[in-house]
Amino acid sequence: MAAPRGQRLSGMQKQVLSLYRGFLRAARSKSDKDRNKVESIVSEEFRRNSKEVDRKNFLYIEYLLRRGKKQLDQLRNPGTTGLSSLQVDLSKADN
Amino acid sequence: MALRAAVLRHLRVPIQTAPWRGGASLRLMSSHDDHITKDEVIDRVLSVVKDFPKVDPSKVSPDVHFQKDLGLDSLDNVEIVMALEEEFKLEIPDKEAVKIDSTHLAIEYISNHPMSS
Repeated sequence: MAAPRGQRLSGMQKQVLSLYRGFLRAARSKSDKDRNKVESIVSEEFRRNSKEVDRKNFLYIEYLLRRGKKQLDQLRNPGTTGLSSLQVDLSKADN
Repeated sequence: MALRAAVLRHLRVPIQTAPWRGGASLRLMSSHDDHITKDEVIDRVLSVVKDFPKVDPSKVSPDVHFQKDLGLDSLDNVEIVMALEEEFKLEIPDKEAVKIDSTHLAIEYISNHPMSS
């Protein structure tokens, strides 16, 4: 879903980018180690979806946005140090 | 003791330029207030962009478009703006952040922002 060069962003693209920004902001409040981990998981997930998800598949993108917002709310909780709910249990690996 | 006090009273050590860490935050030459100069903003914006892993530093100038000229995507663009926020200790609201798509606009926004440091 990367924006075509020089083209205006659609409302949905804006939501995706805003969610991405939200995740990166939330990651800043974690320890350096957790922050790096969260950033790499989040960046990988967004990049993977940007390649794999058909940009016209609005229903699925909306679903991903909703899921992402929930995960972001979890991440904003000061006690949360990782993103265990993201697909495989990535954070279990070194917790 | 009196002698020592007298000597101390007359002893003046010239203030040396502090060995500041990281030349980027050196602001001893700013003329009026705390606000950073535009030249400094330009230098620091360019170095943040050059340090971005996917960027070819030789292509970076004060007027490059992140996506058109540097081949970045919209997610990279978000990351660069976030890196600039940290560099200048700013929080750029979403509405403004989406507009910043070039070094030129980043420099304008940051140098006009009263809180940049």
